[in-house]
Amino acid sequence: MVLQAEHNFLITGDHDEVNRQHYVSRLRMHILNHIGGGMRKAFEQENKKETSKPETGETNLREKILNSNYGKFWSTMMVSCQDMVWESVIPPIERAQPKLNREISCQKNTLSKLFLNPDLKIPNYLTAVDIHRMPGSYHTERSNNDASQGALYDRGRFIYNAGQAGPFADGISRTMAEYISLKWPSFNPKKILELGCTIGTSTVPFVNKFKKSQVHAIDISAPVLRYGQARAEALGKRIYFHQMNAEKLDFDNGEFDLIFSCIMFHETSRKALPKILKECHRVLSPKGLMIHAELMPNNNLKDFDRFYMNWDAFYNNEPFYKTYTSLDPRELVLNAGFNEGSFFEVAIPDIDKSSAIEFNKVVSKSSVMSKNTGRVGEGVKWYTFGAWK
Amino acid sequence: MEEKIEIKPVNRGKRPFFFDDPAIDQLIAIIMAMSGELSVLYDRVDTIERLLETNGGLKRKDIEKFRPSQEIEDERNVRRNEYLARLFKIITDEKTNLTPHDKMRDYSNLMKELDKT
Repeated sequence: MVLQAEHNFLITGDHDEVNRQHYVSRLRMHILNHIGGGMRKAFEQENKKETSKPETGETNLREKILNSNYGKFWSTMMVSCQDMVWESVIPPIERAQPKLNREISCQKNTLSKLFLNPDLKIPNYLTAVDIHRMPGSYHTERSNNDASQGALYDRGRFIYNAGQAGPFADGISRTMAEYISLKWPSFNPKKILELGCTIGTSTVPFVNKFKKSQVHAIDISAPVLRYGQARAEALGKRIYFHQMNAEKLDFDNGEFDLIFSCIMFHETSRKALPKILKECHRVLSPKGLMIHAELMPNNNLKDFDRFYMNWDAFYNNEPFYKTYTSLDPRELVLNAGFNEGSFFEVAIPDIDKSSAIEFNKVVSKSSVMSKNTGRVGEGVKWYTFGAWK
Repeated sequence: MEEKIEIKPVNRGKRPFFFDDPAIDQLIAIIMAMSGELSVLYDRVDTIERLLETNGGLKRKDIEKFRPSQEIEDERNVRRNEYLARLFKIITDEKTNLTPHDKMRDYSNLMKELDKT
């Protein structure tokens, strides 16, 4: 496991806290790969006999697994481990406050800018549950100018992910940026927009890759944006952060040449999702590119994988996860106003886990689907979809 | 002086329990937490050993200051993975797979088999 890249505002912990966090990462990987792997072996075999419809197949299998001791062990360990992730990172962040907030508000920002909108209402799909069981989700503020949720997300996600997305936790975004630049080498976006940027980890690779572009990033939660700006400044990156709802962007028509998001849509809602895609179409310039990395649509998966992926919807506080993966990205994109011929979907090999040959093979073929597309933390390929305007 | 904040769940909801008796879920959670504390203790011993080896002596604050390099972290992760494999062997062991097992039937089958010889 790689160590997390340090910056001025990263809160890790004292000697024992850091080791506890690193153990939790290993524990989570053990539950996923070894205990989860054994469960797959036990049930995939059995489920081969199933010939029912996908939805019934998954429901039957879920019942079977959750009634078995193996399924019960795996599930209860997954929940406990998820809570251990947050519990392992909270004490040092509580200790670091209020100094952290003070330092973040006093920092002189010469590169990045932050535009907050305190009147913005946080939609209920983000407040109804603590997403990922993260205490307070992305938006909770516990004092004035609070940025603690940003610190919690930065360290907590790295521990959750066991460093698999690299020292800056930006593997998916680096994969996307690399793919775009190799696939369309003459595409030079002047203005780039990321939706749902949280603390800007996925924004930075686009700043690095498209050096001449002006990069904007929006999120609806102030604490993660405050932290994100401080983090970007500490890393010497110029990013324009805006507190905005992606369903209703305060940008002009045709303002951006490239719009992207990183595993965001499954945390929205059935009503919000089409609105967001329509807004992408509106603010995208003529011949602009929209590209989103997200979970694999469910119809490409076997019953076991469906059960495995959708487990999070029920037990990891990601209620929209299951509905989202049952939707058809092509249909959603076309309904948002994009042309039939401009839609694309591709499973891109993770930049750190694939060879240059493997990566280039996907670049040279226009669209490659893969059944090996995993979820965050295990994926070797990232499902992305999008369209040209 | 600003007030110290507390980071508590806001809308986490009830913790799901999977076993018929929630005490089993709770016991597993306790074991998992304990497994973490043992690992932390092991890392502390490892830190002390490394400091003693390098410096010949030890100051408490040196332990607190010590952060593993990538190389040391990799070594620790090998050890953590081996530890986890031993700890949860009963679950991951292919032959066990937590399926109920009728020892008496196995025994009588074996005896029948042996009686033939």
